[in-house]
Amino acid sequence: MAGFRRISGRVIVAVLRQLTKLGWLLILPAITLPIWIVGTDRGWLPEQILPCPGDVLHTLRDMIASGELAQHAGYSLRRVALGFAIGAAAGLVVGSAMGLSRRVDDYVRPLFTAIAQVPALAWIPLAMLLLGIGEGLKIVVIAKAAFVPVVMNTSAGIANVPRAFVEVGETFRFTPLQMLRHVVLPGAIPPIFTGLRYGLTHAWIALVSVELLASSEGLGYLLVWGRQMFWLDTVLVAMIVIGVIGFLSDRVLAVVETRLQRWRIDGVR
Amino acid sequence: MSGSAALGSLGRGLVLPVGLLLTWEVASHSGLVNRQFLPPLEHVGATAWRELASGELLEALAASLRRDLLGFVFGSGAGVLIGLLLGLSTIADRVVMTWFNGLKQIALLAWIPLISLWFGFDEMAKIVFIGLAAAIPVILNLVEGIHATSRKLVEVGDVFRFNRVQFILFVYLPAAMPSLLTGLHLALIYAWLATIGAEYFMAAGPGIGGLIIAGRERFEMDLVMLGILVVGSVGFLVDRGASWLEQRLIPWRAASAQV
Amino acid sequence: MNVAAQLRTRAFPDQGQGRLEVRNVSKSFVVNGAPVEALRDVSLDVAAGEFVVLLGPSGCGKSTLLRLIAGLEPEFRGSISQDGDAIAGTSLDRGIVFQEPRLFPWATVSQNVALGLKNAPLSERAKREAVAAHIALVGLDGFAQAYPHQLSGGMAQRAAIARGLVNRPRLLLLDEPFGALDALTRARLQVELQRIWAHERITMVLVTHDVDEAVLLGDRVIVLAPRPGRVSRIFAISAPRPRSRTDDDLVRIRNDILRALGDGEEDGSGGTPIGGPA
Repeated sequence: MAGFRRISGRVIVAVLRQLTKLGWLLILPAITLPIWIVGTDRGWLPEQILPCPGDVLHTLRDMIASGELAQHAGYSLRRVALGFAIGAAAGLVVGSAMGLSRRVDDYVRPLFTAIAQVPALAWIPLAMLLLGIGEGLKIVVIAKAAFVPVVMNTSAGIANVPRAFVEVGETFRFTPLQMLRHVVLPGAIPPIFTGLRYGLTHAWIALVSVELLASSEGLGYLLVWGRQMFWLDTVLVAMIVIGVIGFLSDRVLAVVETRLQRWRIDGVR
Repeated sequence: MSGSAALGSLGRGLVLPVGLLLTWEVASHSGLVNRQFLPPLEHVGATAWRELASGELLEALAASLRRDLLGFVFGSGAGVLIGLLLGLSTIADRVVMTWFNGLKQIALLAWIPLISLWFGFDEMAKIVFIGLAAAIPVILNLVEGIHATSRKLVEVGDVFRFNRVQFILFVYLPAAMPSLLTGLHLALIYAWLATIGAEYFMAAGPGIGGLIIAGRERFEMDLVMLGILVVGSVGFLVDRGASWLEQRLIPWRAASAQV
Repeated sequence: MNVAAQLRTRAFPDQGQGRLEVRNVSKSFVVNGAPVEALRDVSLDVAAGEFVVLLGPSGCGKSTLLRLIAGLEPEFRGSISQDGDAIAGTSLDRGIVFQEPRLFPWATVSQNVALGLKNAPLSERAKREAVAAHIALVGLDGFAQAYPHQLSGGMAQRAAIARGLVNRPRLLLLDEPFGALDALTRARLQVELQRIWAHERITMVLVTHDVDEAVLLGDRVIVLAPRPGRVSRIFAISAPRPRSRTDDDLVRIRNDILRALGDGEEDGSGGTPIGGPA
């Protein structure tokens, strides 16, 4: 009974804490939204600078209803998925090889560093000349953006597996395969996952860049188009969707990452 | 690692780049690949020399660096002020931080259309965009640094009855200094990236980004390659310079973890 | 009169004597929504200039009591007063040395010691003199410009003691200051602390779980029992100073204390064993 009371007390405290958090969160919109609405309504803020929130919502609803938004987002998501899959897979292979073999690292590292040093954004014009402005361009640029952090974190993660663990494996006379399976991979998985998370973030940023520069569909294109037509509401809707997708994907991966990190900390003890 | 081993690893490191350049050169001369796509190395070199001699390259680089620096100074300055406010004031933190975290999820380049609608295509718009790119990492790292100040050091301030100003000057600011420098380092990198982005999309006036875009439009592959080389080199130098400064500015960094 | 004592009389002519009264103090914390009683009805008097040791196993609330006296924990029941005035928050009249040196990593030893004087009513010159005098007092001459990461654990703790003393507090609180040091360094710093106490003639309250340290340093040893923390026994030690660890009286009292602590364990508290004889 006392235990139950204690638990329910804890739940109430947690709920109250969440509510307070929500309350704080609502203060900013409670101040800015009225100013924004009144400002646009009275004409202090010209339509070309900031459309009223109602218009933005309206546009958002229209674009969802007509399926236009889903179509553009679909294009973007497909590109990111494909580019990320290719870049991350290649990154895992190259990064593992560099982490496991000093020799491979010697051969590959300088070229890799040179390629990584130039941001995806700067490669785009070159890639446009070589590949045209079709799907191939987008996939290659996104894959390159994902490739770099995956290689860096995978190679470092594998190469930095604590010597102490390897020694434990050596005392048990592990075969190389056993060493990989029981020592190296478990130790390297958290940093590898961190690399994948960065890779996805970079892929998403590269997608926006490449769609802004060379595309006739997708969320980035929506931005350019809205800009050309001076449709600020469309621009804002596209920004919101880009932000929300970026936020959600990062959140999901962050949760998985924390899980892995916790496991890693336990493992070290 | 012994000297000869280091030399060996350096030699191995050269195999791929040199091989790649050789293949490029052979492919280009043999006519296997269209020269428009892969101009021979000496053409790229000649273009580089021509651009250098005419002063065009240096002019573009100077314009880009000027923008980069102005944007960085304004952006990181604003970032320090906002970061201090958010880091030191619980109320400001609670009211603003979650929204700020949401806002930063919008890929940076996605701000360009909006900024160009507000500020046009000229210098002002570019500097605002570069400033935005520089401010975000400064704010994030400064706030994190202040929040991570050891509770144990804060108690020492309590014991000596520090007032608010003394707490900021003698406890929070020095404790957050390594984080702040990390933020400024990132800001330098982001600002350079944003400079190129701004010049791509708001292509008015000289700049390295403009040079690359012009090269692409005129299908001058050698010009594009030259531009990419410059962008990469500047990025590399900025990064190295910042790391070097960071290490010198914080003599206690080695021990910042222990209390 | 020594230089430091002269400084004190000049700066704080009408200062109290460092008498401490703890009356019926209780304290509980909330852990995971459930209250945990850390101290129950603790009363204690410390005379001016006395060296009192609070001894007990972990979880007996001895550090909590010290933090209450320092003014670091504002909420508790009962009263604590220094020289007749109830304490309210921290005060420059009470110095504290923590278990970890807590030196600011970005400041040199002399800057760290000077931090203690930021709010002292002294001229810049007097502050400089006080900093130098206290660095000398703890035997750190030549290391004034060193950063904390360049110091050994023992040197860092010496610097922390200098910082705790630089305000000329009438009462110095020490929270297991040597707990993290190796045995040799600990023994040396215990002797140093004895010397500093004799030299400064101020009140000291030391928290420890080391019985040897307690009998070597204390005029009185107050043994606390755990869960909830309360005073279980008080031992007066009248052995002459400077003391030697092998003094017969000290050895006898040490055995008495160990026995008292053993009794405490038998009443079901299951406390951690005390760091006893080597």
